[in-house]
Amino acid sequence: MPLLSDLTAAVAAGKRTDTVRLTQELLAAGTSPQDVVEKGLVPGMAIVGDRFKRNEIFVPEMLVAARAMKEALKLLEPLLAAAGIKPKYTAIIGTVQGDLHDIGKNLISMMWRGANFAVIDLGTNVTAEKYLAAAKEHKANIVGLSALLTTTMPSMKETVRILKSSGLDGLKVVIGGAPITQEFANDIGADGYAADAGSAVDLAKRLVGEAA
Amino acid sequence: MTSREKVRLALDHKPGPVPVDFGSTPVTGIHVSCVAALREHFGLDRHPVRVWEPFQMLGEIEDDLSIALGADCTGVAGRGTLFGFPREGWREWRAPWGQVMLVPEGFRPRAEPAGGLHLFPQGDGAARPSGHMPAGGYFFDAIIRQEPIDEDRLDPADNCEEFTPLSADDIGHWRRVLAGARGNGRAIVGGMGGTAFGDIALIPAVGLRNPRGIRDVSEWYVSLVERRPYVHRVFSRQCEVALKNLEVFRDLAGDAIDVLVVCGTDFGTQASQFCSPETFDDLFAPYYRIINEWVHRNTSWKTFKHSCGAVRPLIGRFIDVGFDILNPVQCSATDMDPVRLKRDFGDRLVFWGGGVDTQHTLPFGTPAEVRTQVTERLRAFSPGGGFVFNTIHNIQAMTPVANIVAMVQAVRDFNGAGA
Repeated sequence: MPLLSDLTAAVAAGKRTDTVRLTQELLAAGTSPQDVVEKGLVPGMAIVGDRFKRNEIFVPEMLVAARAMKEALKLLEPLLAAAGIKPKYTAIIGTVQGDLHDIGKNLISMMWRGANFAVIDLGTNVTAEKYLAAAKEHKANIVGLSALLTTTMPSMKETVRILKSSGLDGLKVVIGGAPITQEFANDIGADGYAADAGSAVDLAKRLVGEAA
Repeated sequence: MTSREKVRLALDHKPGPVPVDFGSTPVTGIHVSCVAALREHFGLDRHPVRVWEPFQMLGEIEDDLSIALGADCTGVAGRGTLFGFPREGWREWRAPWGQVMLVPEGFRPRAEPAGGLHLFPQGDGAARPSGHMPAGGYFFDAIIRQEPIDEDRLDPADNCEEFTPLSADDIGHWRRVLAGARGNGRAIVGGMGGTAFGDIALIPAVGLRNPRGIRDVSEWYVSLVERRPYVHRVFSRQCEVALKNLEVFRDLAGDAIDVLVVCGTDFGTQASQFCSPETFDDLFAPYYRIINEWVHRNTSWKTFKHSCGAVRPLIGRFIDVGFDILNPVQCSATDMDPVRLKRDFGDRLVFWGGGVDTQHTLPFGTPAEVRTQVTERLRAFSPGGGFVFNTIHNIQAMTPVANIVAMVQAVRDFNGAGA
């Protein structure tokens, strides 16, 4: 029987075929789907995030690891749903209105999934109203806003204002993107800023009260 | 001293007045809204500005504005736009922000249901749209048109459809633009096209009606790891075509060109790099080396590499593969401090850019803050030559004209002070 640590290593290395095979073997040997996710895949993606932050791996390797995780989750999600097991936290993510750039947003979406958040990805060019509606519908803990363009930073500011004044209890709004800084986050009243996809996981965990 | 002489001094790492570029390339330009505002500010002839690069909506900087801005470079570009239609048949068009401008005949946007605009490859409204300007936007972005990928049938030729030998029409165009550019006293910066390996802005191929191969941005990045032999075959084939075109282009341009824009592939993110140094060495370096060596062996041109972001760990490699010039020198990215860049690489690499931050200071700062930063950058980069002043990438839409003017004046004052 394979070890959960074998799965962790496979997903961290982006070995898609091995990740799927090990997931199947662990399930067949009686490991619970929840343990496969929480003790196999999540630690693997945490390694990916750490290595990314340390510039030991880069965007292509992170994408490949995320794909391996995604393939494994295809096997696991029906089993988790059948057992009524859901991720503890929910995050909404999207690129702000007027902005169509999504590389960074997609990376963070993948990494949040890899940290066992339920992630609702609203795509690009997302209005403040859409973020708000999704946050309400899914009882989100976190909303993540991305912007690449200087011309869409005002849209981000307005979206943060609307979300923060919505009265949604405990909702945290975090922002990121190439021109975004911690100073800008402070100025517009966001709850946090992350410079990269690895840091975005730490930020989200800290804001929901989990140790990062 | 002519503008061209100023630029040549800087390119040869010799001290002199700091030369300036505004608008000679698609990565050193000015959004059409700002070009119009600058024309008005300087009291120049009032007429609609031409959009010479419709993807980023860059405005043409005509001779009178070049003079007002103190620009020392003239750009010469190929016949076609990124969308595959030629820069000809100019007509008036009103942009969503109300500005009337001139666009090429093939620029025929169509309203999309969400309130934005779609643009079509080669101006063909019957094709699937390839560009999208969202409502409230000022630029187009590529619409990803990725056919299902059959790993067993991937053919490098599919990813090379856009790399073709220069046609008779292209050659005629180049003869005209090169003749027009000679004699204005400025340095000439040329972009022949087809020498950018894996430029993520070009991968979606907005100029093709039905792009094949790997055209999705994430798929392309994944391909650098999972389909590396395929990417090698794409680059190899592209390189063959580029070398043949370079021979033709050399015969057309000769010594008229001072700088060849080789590649705009971004290797940097805001905080890191898009690929490892090992990936650069294996996948990109061999082809860059071939192109740069050919240019240096057969011409007097300097080669220009554009890469946004935190590329410091790769700069030594850019130099090793033969690039002479780095742009846009994104000092706001991690570990891109101007003083350290100049100290560590300034004797071997020309910095073309770095003049002012277009993410923060230029669009959102005060004229005084712009002036301060511009002066600091001039002091950092200019000693001993090896510096051409330009903003860090294009001046973005709706940047206050007072800030642009403050930048221009700061450069003028610095040069006037005999620095």
